[in-house]
Amino acid sequence: MSIYLPIGPQHPVHPEAVQLKLKVEGEEVVDADVDVSFVHRGIEKVLETKTYVQGLFLAERICGICNVAHTTCYAINVERLAGVEVPRRALHLRLVVEELARMHSHMLWLSLLAHVIGFDSLFMLAQRDRELVLDLMEEITGGRVITSYNVIGGVRRNVDAALAQKIISTLDGLRKRVLEYKRLLGEDAILRARTEDVGYLSSSKAVELSAVGPVARASGVPYDVRECDPYLIHDEVPFNVVVYNTCDVWGRAMVRIDEVLESIEMIRYALERLPEGDVRAKVPLLIKPPPGESVARVEAPRGELIHYVRSDGSEKPVRYKVRTPTLANLAALVEMLKTGRKDRPVYVADVPVIFASIDPCICCAARVLLIDEKRGSVKEVGMDEVVRGE
Amino acid sequence: MAISLELLKNLLRRRATIMYPDERRALPESSRGRLVFVRDLCVGCGLCWRACPSAAIEPIKDEKGLRPVFYIDKCTFCYLCVEVCPRKAIKGSSEQASVVSDKSELVVK
Amino acid sequence: MLEPLLRFVQALAYLLYTLLLALLLEWFDRKLIAKFQNRVGPHYTGPAGILQPLADVLKLLSKESVVPEGTDRLMFTLSPLLAFTIICTATAFVPLLGYRGLVSLEGDVILVLALLTLYLLVIYTAGASSSSRFSLIGATRAALMLLGFEIPLMLSCLSVAASLGSFRISEIAAKAQPRLLGIHALGFLVYLVAAQAELDRQPFDIPEAETEIVSGWLVEYSGWRLAIFRLSKDIELVLLTGLAVALFIGGGPNVPLQGFELAIATPVFLIKQLLVVFILSLIRASFGRLRIDQFIGVGWRALIPASFLYLVIAALVA
Repeated sequence: MSIYLPIGPQHPVHPEAVQLKLKVEGEEVVDADVDVSFVHRGIEKVLETKTYVQGLFLAERICGICNVAHTTCYAINVERLAGVEVPRRALHLRLVVEELARMHSHMLWLSLLAHVIGFDSLFMLAQRDRELVLDLMEEITGGRVITSYNVIGGVRRNVDAALAQKIISTLDGLRKRVLEYKRLLGEDAILRARTEDVGYLSSSKAVELSAVGPVARASGVPYDVRECDPYLIHDEVPFNVVVYNTCDVWGRAMVRIDEVLESIEMIRYALERLPEGDVRAKVPLLIKPPPGESVARVEAPRGELIHYVRSDGSEKPVRYKVRTPTLANLAALVEMLKTGRKDRPVYVADVPVIFASIDPCICCAARVLLIDEKRGSVKEVGMDEVVRGE
Repeated sequence: MAISLELLKNLLRRRATIMYPDERRALPESSRGRLVFVRDLCVGCGLCWRACPSAAIEPIKDEKGLRPVFYIDKCTFCYLCVEVCPRKAIKGSSEQASVVSDKSELVVK
Repeated sequence: MLEPLLRFVQALAYLLYTLLLALLLEWFDRKLIAKFQNRVGPHYTGPAGILQPLADVLKLLSKESVVPEGTDRLMFTLSPLLAFTIICTATAFVPLLGYRGLVSLEGDVILVLALLTLYLLVIYTAGASSSSRFSLIGATRAALMLLGFEIPLMLSCLSVAASLGSFRISEIAAKAQPRLLGIHALGFLVYLVAAQAELDRQPFDIPEAETEIVSGWLVEYSGWRLAIFRLSKDIELVLLTGLAVALFIGGGPNVPLQGFELAIATPVFLIKQLLVVFILSLIRASFGRLRIDQFIGVGWRALIPASFLYLVIAALVA
């Protein structure tokens, strides 16, 4: 006898309003669906009414945590469209702030995973150590989370030698703490018991459902935009694409922790080889790119982020489209919620853990709403239909 | 019990909490906070209220001419106006807008 | 004629002391966990926030207690009252004040354990009578948890009682000594884990998993009904830590002076109780939450065999 259990849109485990519709028999989940229409803000429409320079600040606010990824992607997109050359020093600084943002996003995720499994001590300790990264961001960019650092043509503020030294020494101290968390993930019995073999997503399914980011990399799919389509100076900075083959939540946690360690090394590389020069190319306030289209991809902390812009020569874009990584991972999420492995069903207690493991950023993802203009009706699209391409 | 040693050591460490508002964190100078406007330098060019992405600046006429008024409750602290002003009449500060009891305190004239 | 009145006043004083102790232990637990996590914990109400649990109860009492539609109104209201009554009755046997509890009967160890099982039954009715899916899942989980910790709890208590030669809690408290803990260490450990599960604290707060089922069986309770449930939980902490001290560590010292026993035995008992709370809080802060199937696995694969082993040890020692 199954009951319908809605997790959301108000639920303590959800950072934003999203609904997981579960069909539950006892403690086992037999069916699942996702509804993300609660946080739709119409950003793509508003972007058509702002100039390119103003639109940057709106695109920044698509997501609070991934705001650096959005501004990087937007800036690269418009620079490609308008043919703006960005100075080398700015590329290094953009990379530093992008990797710092990745670090604090992953540490926030670790504390959320701990909170979801009831491990409040790890939640508090990880947040305390995340403050180090936020303080660094504030010194560099002026804002702790919303950085407003990237502009079309470069970055806004310079980093002098003293600040660069401070960044490197703070990160050295942080590295010890992160290694401690990595040890905990490997040793703590309950952490392992709650995350191993939970949220199974095979490699073939991950590719079929176009999972991106740490979700895909924990299932053995070595897909990282920084490697396959390098932007900024990612083709020069040596780094490892972190891949685990465990296909479960534990693998995703390990991928993210290892990415934090990789980011520390990348920042050190970029700061030690900081070239001289300007940090910003001169770009008019009412920039009018020539008519055309442009696509830019970056590796946001949650996965592959795609921005698309179409211009007709005026100072406002004709169409701006954003495909966020969480949207791509939603189909994989539904698959993970519905099917466990043959001897291990998905329990109700696993649902929040699986949901947290894709690092959901619903405010990024709320974009799918089908409006049938002929019949004047609005139809919600279930995940199955999105996957089947209807 | 992997974390227990760390927890016991925390008993001897000082708290990480800052007891706001009695204690306050020292903000770095680069922190993007409330705007400061120097009236004498402004020439009324209108670049700032055209550049603002959140329409937080409004032009008004005073005895010296056209000039902007800043509504901090709408401001996103992007500092586009600070960059765009040709006379550097708009300056940033590290003062946070904070909580006010009277909405007129959130207007920079 | 005066005798029943005196007994009534005594009972009232004991009840008051139990309530005060409950609030004190809750404060101690919250403050300790905060310090473990590098935080501050309760701070503003009273010196070092000691009045915070009282403030919480008063706040809850001042709010409306909503009874949602479709709820079994009788059981919904009866459950918190029953829970409070059961727990207060069980605590009356623990020697919190002086050398003996308010009441002392032959075999009251068994009675207290039976009352604890009854308490869990009331939790089930509380969750089942609420009209929410989450509360039903929480209530089912609470009933399932019984499979895991009931036997270890009973076996550890009864084994140490049998080995010390009495089933009257006050007598056991007089006979138990801290140095005997070396022999009864396994039983103490089993008891602590089973008590943590009984109290619904991490790693066993499965019936009230906040991030999964939003307070579980408690979810529809508010206002004075919730206040009574919260007080019952705090008193349960007093009861179980009191039992730990009485059965394994020993009550207050044997002071031959008449009349001074209250003044000396009570603080000593309290300090030992706080030590047990320290251990329980450390366990609570160190772990995440188990899943219900994992907990039953731990219960049947580790706890119950350990409790049977302890039964053998206690029998050999006696």
